Amino acid sequence: MKSIKYVFLSALCLLFLASCSNGDDTDVDDEKPSISLVGGFPQSCSELKRGETYVFKALVSDNVGLASYSLNVHHNFDHHTHDDQGVECVLSAKKEAENPMIFMENYAIGSNKTSYEITIELTIPQDVDTGDYHCSYSVTDVTGWQGRTAVDVKIVE
Amino acid sequence: MMYRLLGMWLCFSLCSVAHAQSTFDIEGVVLDGHTLKPIKDVNILSKPFFAISNDNGEFKISDVPKGKYTFTISHIAYGQQHLEIEVDGSHRHWVIRLQEAVTNLEGIELSATTDGRKAQELATISVAVSKAYLEGNRENSLMQTLKKIPGVSTISIGSGQSKPVIRGLGFNRVSVVQNGVKHEAQQWGNDHGLEIDQYGIENVHIIKGPASLLYGSDAISGVVDIEPPSVPIPHTFEGEVNLLGETNNDLLGVSTGVQGRKETWFYRGRLTLRDYGDYKVPTDEIRYESYIFDLNDNHLRNTAGQEANVSFSLGYLRDDIKSETFFSNVFAKNGFFANAHGLEVRTSAIDYDGSSRDVDLPFHQVNHFKVVNNTTFFKDKHIVQLDFGFQNNQREEHSEPVPHGYMPKPADSRERIFSKNTLSLNAKTTYKPNEAHSFVFGLNGEMQNNNIGGWGFLIPEYERYNVGVYVFDHYKLNTNFHLQGGIRYDWGHMDTQGYRDWFPSTVNNADGTTSYVYMQRSQERSMDFNSVNGSVGLSYHSSKTTYKLNLGKSFRMPLPNELASDGVNYHMYRYEKGNIDLDPEQSYQIDADIEHKGGAYRIGVSPFLNFFGNFIYLNPTSGYNESLQVYEYVQSKVVRYGGELSAGVDLNASLSADASLEYVYSRQTSGPKKNFTLPFSPPLSALFSVNYRFNDLGFLTEPSLNADLRVTAEQNKIVPPEERTDGYQVLNLSATAKLNLPGFERPTRLRVKLNNVFHTEYYDHTSFYRLIDVPEAGRNISLSITIPF
Repeated sequence: MKSIKYVFLSALCLLFLASCSNGDDTDVDDEKPSISLVGGFPQSCSELKRGETYVFKALVSDNVGLASYSLNVHHNFDHHTHDDQGVECVLSAKKEAENPMIFMENYAIGSNKTSYEITIELTIPQDVDTGDYHCSYSVTDVTGWQGRTAVDVKIVE
Repeated sequence: MMYRLLGMWLCFSLCSVAHAQSTFDIEGVVLDGHTLKPIKDVNILSKPFFAISNDNGEFKISDVPKGKYTFTISHIAYGQQHLEIEVDGSHRHWVIRLQEAVTNLEGIELSATTDGRKAQELATISVAVSKAYLEGNRENSLMQTLKKIPGVSTISIGSGQSKPVIRGLGFNRVSVVQNGVKHEAQQWGNDHGLEIDQYGIENVHIIKGPASLLYGSDAISGVVDIEPPSVPIPHTFEGEVNLLGETNNDLLGVSTGVQGRKETWFYRGRLTLRDYGDYKVPTDEIRYESYIFDLNDNHLRNTAGQEANVSFSLGYLRDDIKSETFFSNVFAKNGFFANAHGLEVRTSAIDYDGSSRDVDLPFHQVNHFKVVNNTTFFKDKHIVQLDFGFQNNQREEHSEPVPHGYMPKPADSRERIFSKNTLSLNAKTTYKPNEAHSFVFGLNGEMQNNNIGGWGFLIPEYERYNVGVYVFDHYKLNTNFHLQGGIRYDWGHMDTQGYRDWFPSTVNNADGTTSYVYMQRSQERSMDFNSVNGSVGLSYHSSKTTYKLNLGKSFRMPLPNELASDGVNYHMYRYEKGNIDLDPEQSYQIDADIEHKGGAYRIGVSPFLNFFGNFIYLNPTSGYNESLQVYEYVQSKVVRYGGELSAGVDLNASLSADASLEYVYSRQTSGPKKNFTLPFSPPLSALFSVNYRFNDLGFLTEPSLNADLRVTAEQNKIVPPEERTDGYQVLNLSATAKLNLPGFERPTRLRVKLNNVFHTEYYDHTSFYRLIDVPEAGRNISLSITIPF
């Protein structure tokens, strides 16, 4: 039965060897893309007039390659969330939504760019509810990392 | 073997019925001298007379002629002793008490291949956890209590809930079995916790490694097998009350249990109530992405909860049959951190800071009802075991109704309702044609039905049926050398129901028109699965060392959400897309284990190597649906390896030190995340424990002090959308003692525990709240008193 021990010890060594023989990791992309609203639009607490057309702008960048981005504009009449710009906007009184503006679109960037300026032309419809809105950008890279940011805005007459 | 035989003594229980005959029947029971619990599988031998104690520690040897005999009484865990007895008919009923003295690793006992039930039938690596260990290490949930065991970790949400992770895999890749029946709840969910009352549990077997052969689907990375408690001793009644108080979340808990037995009938009952407030973290603010949440008095707002559990069982025991039926109901209501629901940042008008004990929205509540019957028939060389189970799991997630995307504001807070019913049947027969072979033939059947409600959709309604059959042989080459192997076939069928949104979404068509569509989120489908699995293994015991080697294949049937989901998971802020073509997950694993025990020291190593041909992985893609990132279920090859090292030494009779190290490396070797790790990969972690047993201090007996230092490395191996997690060190202290209260036969047990002594701010990579940058709980003092009666 002594031989059993050796079989065991060899098996153990093999397991450890198998474990170590994988070597170093092939480098993986472990960085999120980022979104900058410096010089972008809208800024915190911006007021958007109904019927006007605005160019929504943000600068996105990534270490490997950008893939796609999305813009989401939804109402915040119930104060359910707030932005992450570090600025407190004065919110209007809570109210029920009747015909809130909803904008949810996504776009491909393509060709593995590492920086890109998002420009989306958006007309605020004439008939939507005025009040507090939330505008969020998100961007993915080719690996599947996502960056997000959000801004509080108001739609006014 | 991590046991030391301290002593064994005999009591000749008096049964003075004289017989005027030349041969006698000898009957008796073998008990653990410390816990007075029966010990099964004890060999009682004096050639040619031979008996093995049954599940209740009882044995019987018939037709023994009058005379003097030397019986060898042996058990793998308690060692071997010789016993001189005189058979003359004056004593017929014996009580043999075996004593194990120093149980190392504070009561964790490494089980041997013939000790216990199913776990030992495999050469897989298993750890047996005793009631003493559970009591001495009790944390806020069963899995948090078991976390100290090398290779075991948890995915926790808040202070009261957690689910098991074994060697880096959790969710549906670990099977939880209670009283022989697989626990079936919404275990795929991120914020689900195990619905099992951790009080009243006597023995837990943790299998590390593939165990589908006996446990079926999901037993890929391991099994947490909560065994039925042992049958009480005849003509006894006993009970205990446990009181618990904690400072961090102002927890108050009480659990009381009774059990009793006449001759053949026995019963048990238990009631557990717990109520706790918001837990406190060692920080004033939570910084998640670029949001900052200020905390009121360090309270993680709205993480309070309640738990109420009741259980009852009735059993019957005779020479040829043992049957017990368990009824249990576990209810829990827990609040979720109010500033973020899942990953979504939320503000609210609710006054969360008004009280730290109330549970406001968002919260979930779960009720798990279970009826289980275990019946065993003993007939000559055959043992037939039947387990029957019915479970209903009712889980409700409530949150403040808010509009999302095209979804208008819902009418109520019922976000998701799950009602799942599971019927289980296990049949198993053991046949021992001779001393060497022990064949087990088994069948597992299960029927599941899952219903959904509420305004949020995550998984479809479904029905699932599966049947597995297996054969297994335990071949004993000699006393020390055992071979085990078996094969299993499983067949499964699932029907998923279709689901459409209750609100229309705006769809811009290619021709410039706009439609309003009730989007279909899951398809009505019918699917069949099958899988062949098996394992071979061996174990060898020399005087001080145990060697084990096991090779096994395990599987997991795809879940309905993996197959059929197609919708928004706002809780995780993503769009999830199922894949109807997923195959059952297949996992191959080789395990080795060496345990060596010298005089005062012990050392163990258990490495493993694991390969998945088609791991089901929820892959974050680069694409969007509307404005949410699309996650798709894909299958990829995965290699994992790692293991546990442990060592301990008894420096003298009162001081012992132990250390353990656990490590898992995972890597996807194909698919869209090739070379990435798997989600929730636990980092390298070590636990150093020192235990000092003092002399009796006045009225306190067996006082002891325990210090545990957990040292965890940083986790830099991450996969989207995870964040890197820094390493940390946390010190926990606990003191235990016994107190002999006048009028009580058995001593009252006291335990004072100080968790996170230095109020360290640290993050657990596998905690759900890690995703929103919430640190683990701060300093906590808890006091527990257990009064037996």
